[in-house]
Amino acid sequence: MSNGEKITLTINDKQVEGTEGDTILDICRANNIYVPTLCYLEGFSNVGACRLCVVEIEGERRINPACTYPARNGLVVRTKTDALEKYRRLILELIFTERNHFCFFCEVSGDCELQALAYEYQVDHMRYPYNFPSLPVDTLNKFLVIDHNRCILCGRCVRVCGEGVANHTLDFGKRGWRTLVVADINQSIGESSCINCGACAQACPTGAIFSKISAYRGRTSEGKVVRSVCSQCGVGCPIDVLVKDNNIVRIDGTDLREPEGQLCAQGRFRQVYREGTRITTPLIHTRARGLQPSSWENALKLVGEKIKEYKGRYGTRSIAGLASSRCSNETLNGFAGLMRQIVGTSKVDTLDGECYRVLTKGISSFSKNGLGLEVESTLENILKADCVLVVGSNPLESHPVAGSYVLKARHQNNAQLIVIDSRANTFGFRADFRLRPKPGSEEVLFNALAKAVTRRAANVGKPHRNGSLAKTAETTGLDRAVIRQVIDKLSVAEKPVLIYGEGVINQKNTRIIARLLDLANVAGKDGLNVISLKPRGNSRGAWDLGIASQKEVSKGKLVYMLLGDDEVDTDYWIDQLNQAEFVIIQASYHSPLIECADVVLPSPIWAEQQGSYVSLDGVKSQSKRILKPLRGIRSDSEIITRVAKKL
Amino acid sequence: MGKVRLATTWLDACAGCHMSFLDIDEAIIEVAKAVEFTRSPITDIKEFAEVDVGLITGAIGTFEHEEEAKELREKCKILIVLGDCACFGGIPSMRNAFSKDEVLRRAYIESESTKDGRIPSSPEIPALLEKALPVTEVVKVDCFVPGCPPRSDAILYALKELLQGRIPVLPREMMRFD
Repeated sequence: MSNGEKITLTINDKQVEGTEGDTILDICRANNIYVPTLCYLEGFSNVGACRLCVVEIEGERRINPACTYPARNGLVVRTKTDALEKYRRLILELIFTERNHFCFFCEVSGDCELQALAYEYQVDHMRYPYNFPSLPVDTLNKFLVIDHNRCILCGRCVRVCGEGVANHTLDFGKRGWRTLVVADINQSIGESSCINCGACAQACPTGAIFSKISAYRGRTSEGKVVRSVCSQCGVGCPIDVLVKDNNIVRIDGTDLREPEGQLCAQGRFRQVYREGTRITTPLIHTRARGLQPSSWENALKLVGEKIKEYKGRYGTRSIAGLASSRCSNETLNGFAGLMRQIVGTSKVDTLDGECYRVLTKGISSFSKNGLGLEVESTLENILKADCVLVVGSNPLESHPVAGSYVLKARHQNNAQLIVIDSRANTFGFRADFRLRPKPGSEEVLFNALAKAVTRRAANVGKPHRNGSLAKTAETTGLDRAVIRQVIDKLSVAEKPVLIYGEGVINQKNTRIIARLLDLANVAGKDGLNVISLKPRGNSRGAWDLGIASQKEVSKGKLVYMLLGDDEVDTDYWIDQLNQAEFVIIQASYHSPLIECADVVLPSPIWAEQQGSYVSLDGVKSQSKRILKPLRGIRSDSEIITRVAKKL
Repeated sequence: MGKVRLATTWLDACAGCHMSFLDIDEAIIEVAKAVEFTRSPITDIKEFAEVDVGLITGAIGTFEHEEEAKELREKCKILIVLGDCACFGGIPSMRNAFSKDEVLRRAYIESESTKDGRIPSSPEIPALLEKALPVTEVVKVDCFVPGCPPRSDAILYALKELLQGRIPVLPREMMRFD
């Protein structure tokens, strides 16, 4: 469309410049000429649904929407005339009377773009009778409400769902004035393919789609927006947190247009308000009454005494420090320093240390030159891929925004999606090829695929050799024809990306990882494009800092666990901690795991302290302190310093 | 110049708009110097006298409201409506998504706190209209002050404009729908 040629036109008697391919609205916005809009959403396709951006163009018989009218050299345009203002008010009145746009019980009143325009145009009454339709309100989704009565059919939600998140759940259903935004084949949004990313709620100009979690917590004008980073998973999305009266009102993605401006249910909704009871004072276990509140001084004294006692009696080897990779770099560094330098133990590990060891061993046995996680590529590369191989992972569940990158690659590059998992994996339903090899046969499969792709590269288009892959098909229980198709796709792909996750890592078999990387290596025409989905928000940070142990850490008699606000596999860790004699846990929330502790030190949550985090692909970002900590809560670093003083 | 004669009434409404009127605080003294209140919810005068300005809060929800609005329109030179109910239908119009019969049944028979309920049928009780309507759908209105309730400074602004002999149009910063 655009050949980049400069064009000149006259808008409101002023000469302005633009580029061929721009719409009139693009040029108005670039030149600070205000044109009211409702359906327009920067960075997304223009649909001309609301008609508020109508302008007068000389030579045109009628007024035209600026958002869909391609600018031409020499056009004479007027954006603000009495007639246009009259039409705009008329359009607003038609929108207001079409459905239910009564503001007094609407969640977004005060933040509503339709309301703001009505104020601007001084719409103090309607010249049309109201329609009062009785449309459904869909509340079945865990986080979102769709109130069709408040919908103006601008289609912003449909466009962000399709063009932005590439999930294509929302679309228009029915016709004419009966048109509704529908999910999938007119299902409830709660029963649809919706991934609860909430982008539609962020894009909605009215109260038609809103968050249950943030509803009635406050308006944008009443709070302050803090830009920070989400530490829930390793994607590390930037977040805009709206805070009012030391409460989180809402979390938004920073830019709907950009892939990194997206969020997921965890980032947008769950961390606004988490169920569970905060630990607000230190607790000490007594045999008679279990965990009882104590003063900071007593708890820290006991911690100091016990560490000294075990060190004196059994040596430093009896003491182990375990930290969650959800904690920030600073907290982890402080903790490792305390345990390694001051306590003097070498038994320091992260709770996901096992993953670290499996991954790094797998990678080094592939590369054979001592390389580790630095061979991995960036999440951005997924967006450039023409073939995505996802192994042992449902990224939409574990790292949803990364999953959305995959969908986006499919949407914009028409990338082939191959999902291989020996477990049931619903991500496979979105794939072109879904392979479920027999558990334990992955190594054989990846080995065979790697070899076949190498051979195939020279013979693309020719038929497969008779009888080839028969053994592989038998061992893996897969259809030979499907394996052959996958080989063909991997052979022709220019920019394949391999993504693998917990389904591979948790098998603790370094050879599978090495074979997978072999496969990615032979398939990649311009180098290796591999991304491992690491389990925790700051796993990469913790591992890069050397907090995770190179060797497996044997059990300690005294264990100091830094948990923070992480949620871990409780049963597994209760088993582990029950084998220790004395347990110190630093955590934010009560849980059955806390009951194993002899001393509990209350930890702040993510929003109550600042720190730096490293995303799974190695990008470091700084989080801010968003909330004043609850009474009695001290920062993790302060707790660690005070423990050190007792030693 | 003699005092401007004002009559006010509240129809299908919650009284919030009249409260907001009183929230103009000490300015009411100035208003009282210039305005003669005839009928209002606190004077308990039943009939409308001939007035310069008629003021309605509330939507048209019953036949009585409809009659009152028509009567006031006839007796006044300028009709001003206050609040979302009068301007747009407001809270009373929430029932408009249902039929009148459904609404009455829900309120008087099906509501959880009701036992052996009956829909009132006494001729002394004004019957509901099929829909609750904004005043402008029943009579011609000259000036609108929306808000739920309207800001008291918006009400004062409108009164001052009227006293200056102008038909007020609410400035943008005084517009509110909630």
